[in-house]
Amino acid sequence: MKKIIVVGGGPAGMQAALSLVAEGLKPVIVERSGALGGKLRDWHNLFPSMTPAHEVLEGMTKQMENAGVEVMLHTEVEGLTDGGVLLMEGKKLEGEAVIVASGFDIFDARLKEEYGYHIYDNVFTTVDVERMLNKGEVALHDGSAPHGIAFVHCVGSRDEKVNQKHCSKVCCITGVKQAMEMRQLFPDAEIYNFYMDIRMFGPGYEELYQSAQQDFGVNFIRGRVSEASPTIDGRLQIKAEDTLVGRPLKMTVDMLVLIVGMKASSSNEKYALPLSSSGFLTPRDLFSGAVSSDLPNVFYAGTATAPKTIGESICEGSMAAEKVSEYLKSRK
Amino acid sequence: MVQTFYSGFVIPFIVGTSVLFAVIIYKYVRWMVRLPRRDKLKVWHGLFSVATLKGIWECFTECLLHRRIWRVNPLLGYMHTAFALGWFLLIVVGWVETIAYLGLRFVPLQGHIFFDYFTQDMDHGPRWGINFEVVMDVLLLYVLSGLVLAVFKRFRSRAMGMKRTTKLTLGDRVAMTSLWFVFPMRLLAESFPSQLPLWWGYSIALGVFFVAMPFSRYMHIFTEVPLIFLRRWGITSEAGREKSFDHFQLEACSRCGICIDPCQLQRDAGMRNVQSAYFIRDRRYNRLTRYVADNCLLCGRCQVKCPVGLELDTLRLGSRHSLSGTPSNGRFNYACDVDRSRGEGRVGYFAGCMTLLSPKILRSMERIFTAAGEQVWWADRDGGVCCGRPLKLSGDIEAARDMMRINAELFRNHGITTLVTSCPICLRVFREDYNLDGIEVLHHSEYFVRLLSDGRLTLKPGGTEKMTYHDPCELGRGCGIYDAPREVLQTVGTLVEPAETRDEALCCGSSLANMAVENSSQVAIAQAVGRAFEATGAGEIVTACPLCKKAIARGTSLPVMDLAEVIEQHLA
Amino acid sequence: MSAIEWGYSVLPARTMDLDRNDLGPVREMLEEMPQFGACIACGGCTATCTAGNLTSFNFRRVHTLVRRGEYTGAWAEMNKCMLCGKCRLVCPRGINTRGVVRLIKRKLGDY
Repeated sequence: MKKIIVVGGGPAGMQAALSLVAEGLKPVIVERSGALGGKLRDWHNLFPSMTPAHEVLEGMTKQMENAGVEVMLHTEVEGLTDGGVLLMEGKKLEGEAVIVASGFDIFDARLKEEYGYHIYDNVFTTVDVERMLNKGEVALHDGSAPHGIAFVHCVGSRDEKVNQKHCSKVCCITGVKQAMEMRQLFPDAEIYNFYMDIRMFGPGYEELYQSAQQDFGVNFIRGRVSEASPTIDGRLQIKAEDTLVGRPLKMTVDMLVLIVGMKASSSNEKYALPLSSSGFLTPRDLFSGAVSSDLPNVFYAGTATAPKTIGESICEGSMAAEKVSEYLKSRK
Repeated sequence: MVQTFYSGFVIPFIVGTSVLFAVIIYKYVRWMVRLPRRDKLKVWHGLFSVATLKGIWECFTECLLHRRIWRVNPLLGYMHTAFALGWFLLIVVGWVETIAYLGLRFVPLQGHIFFDYFTQDMDHGPRWGINFEVVMDVLLLYVLSGLVLAVFKRFRSRAMGMKRTTKLTLGDRVAMTSLWFVFPMRLLAESFPSQLPLWWGYSIALGVFFVAMPFSRYMHIFTEVPLIFLRRWGITSEAGREKSFDHFQLEACSRCGICIDPCQLQRDAGMRNVQSAYFIRDRRYNRLTRYVADNCLLCGRCQVKCPVGLELDTLRLGSRHSLSGTPSNGRFNYACDVDRSRGEGRVGYFAGCMTLLSPKILRSMERIFTAAGEQVWWADRDGGVCCGRPLKLSGDIEAARDMMRINAELFRNHGITTLVTSCPICLRVFREDYNLDGIEVLHHSEYFVRLLSDGRLTLKPGGTEKMTYHDPCELGRGCGIYDAPREVLQTVGTLVEPAETRDEALCCGSSLANMAVENSSQVAIAQAVGRAFEATGAGEIVTACPLCKKAIARGTSLPVMDLAEVIEQHLA
Repeated sequence: MSAIEWGYSVLPARTMDLDRNDLGPVREMLEEMPQFGACIACGGCTATCTAGNLTSFNFRRVHTLVRRGEYTGAWAEMNKCMLCGKCRLVCPRGINTRGVVRLIKRKLGDY
């Protein structure tokens, strides 16, 4: 039996592999890094249920072990070939079908220079915060506790200035979630979320937002932060317009958290398949062909095609496996 | 026939010539009369000076030889020289020929032009040992070779080094078509001098061309001459108003289209009607729209190439002023007493609006000042009044002057003797429009060179990493500063140049001078610029303008840094 | 608490009546400059605006009012703009904000 190649070992890729096994097929995961799990490995608690990320991850890896899925770590896919994929150093991997589940890149917040990431010590990204939460060491650069924390929404999302036209979908809820986590860590801190729009599309999201407002005392200000600058005493001054009041606003905080968006994976270009204006792979259509590509034997799963939540990515992993199975049957 | 020099066919030629000279004299006299007094004085002062001699030489090298066009493309240069020099020699040698055969006597104009017709029964053997017939034939062939190229250029401009040529107006088409007929008709008529219809054809072609000429782009043939002299005598166009002198510039434009190819709005953003040739055409025929006036980066790339040396940017600014300037009316009085400056020192640092949104540059400047032990007065670190150049570039020059006064006063109040800025936009307006006597204005690149040569700053030599440098328009073509940034960079790394560099450098595409350009075009230009730099094989792009830095970063995956950041990285 | 500043004009009635407001000029502006309608009112422009930090000028708000057909005082407000271009640098929609300023000034000089 020929193999089904799954590019990427994140949530979508792992689920695709598991579902393929369930369909009686033989998947092989090709993973660029040294471990399975993708970015899930860096996350702390998952919105909206606050489920610890490691629980989800361990559940899936255990299933993978039981199913005996073949995994190639430290292996990078360079492109598609007839009947498989091209690997590094010109090696080929043969397979009857390919599921591209190569995920996304984190937007590089340094590109929004005016926010001062990697310029001022106490500017962090949501990714940094998840890592700090995992380590249990959420603090300012000097180790002290912040008294004022501001979250900036839409950093690298909905922003023509960094060629990121799309909404990254998960950042609004991530900002709400982390604000609540900050409140738990720092009960006396002032916590502000600066947003352009709050998009609470998922189950339980709106409830979380409301809870953040009324139970966790998180302030929400509708206005995009234009810039951050250092004050003489080493804190950070941010500027925004409070658009609901219609007046400019400035405030000084100790910690600035940039809620970074999803950037299309730079590896998407390798497949020579159609890309959207933001660089995500374009599925055949957005309805029944959402996990299909323009090629009959290539399928998509997860954030390779657009920003998605972890749940949605896992869902697409199953769907892609099912489509692979349909495709193989149709050939017989 | 020699006695009368008249035949019916000369009428079109005579009518055409009369119209031509009447119109030209009317135009020139009107423009000269309307020159402001100051300019008229300059004419009187200049008339009997070396400037006039230099002007004569320039007329020879540019109007006849077209040296600047040769530099663009030799084939294009040959074409223009063949027309200009060839025709000029035909006329001059024609007059000599007339004298040689008819002696020194009055010969009316048509007698010279249609010499072969009126002297067809004379012996055309050599005179004074010169075979005039052969000389004239060779000259005519020379012009015709240019004509062949001109026709060829209309259909295959790329072969002449031009990807695009100008679109023509009706007047241009009439003039061009008749011009194309002039020389072949002349060849035919002179080959068969007894065939009257051929002479009619030649005369009509000339007549039509002369009538159409002052209303077409061919007006440049004559107008470049007074322009050269007026310019030599020190008369210029002004950004703050449209002037009578502008007409000489507008009508000296041949719409050759050399300005079209370098325009990045054309080659990267697909705009086909805003380039200088079209702007000048529209302004000349009173149909200039705001869109055309506003849609220019004022990067100066076309101005560098213009074979007539027109002040394209200044002319455009003058039009913007006429179209959209609003009176100052004390609009900016609110900014009069704004002083958010910090620190104290003889050296002032003006970040400028764009640097204020580029905190990396600010931080680097601070560290460099500290390393050099410089006491610095920070003019606008916590916000300040704009330098006024963006407003000036929009055409609102009076209001811009208010802002300039506010800033100049601020600088004086703090008693600085040196003003450093990291923004070439501010630098240019400080140097060109501010009256800052007693305060030396330096771009940060020049300031760094000084710190290094004074030994106040020592840098660690860099590795083998290759860098490439982007010349900001306002710094390079604008202020003539090309070497200072390079000198600094060469001390810390290996510098590689892109294909178009220094005075031919690309514009980042986000110039504040363009009031109309859309985001998508800015990105398209930035991407093209990015590709040009990536082709150098450099690992990083360095520039010396905060706006260029931000703009180029949108078009490349290479890191884009300001000169100050590079220096800071290498502080010993 | 100091008195609240309401921006630039004292409106005779607090309700904006979109049935009565003359939206003709807005339509013309949108036609001339479609990106005029692309604002998502994030307020980044106002936040960074030098004039907006020194005066009651609020670019985003004047723009929004103009979109609703509230033109009174818009020209005078826009005259405070220095055209420095910081707003355009921060605009997430890439709007030619300086073009918007000039468009409003040109179209609404009579209001």
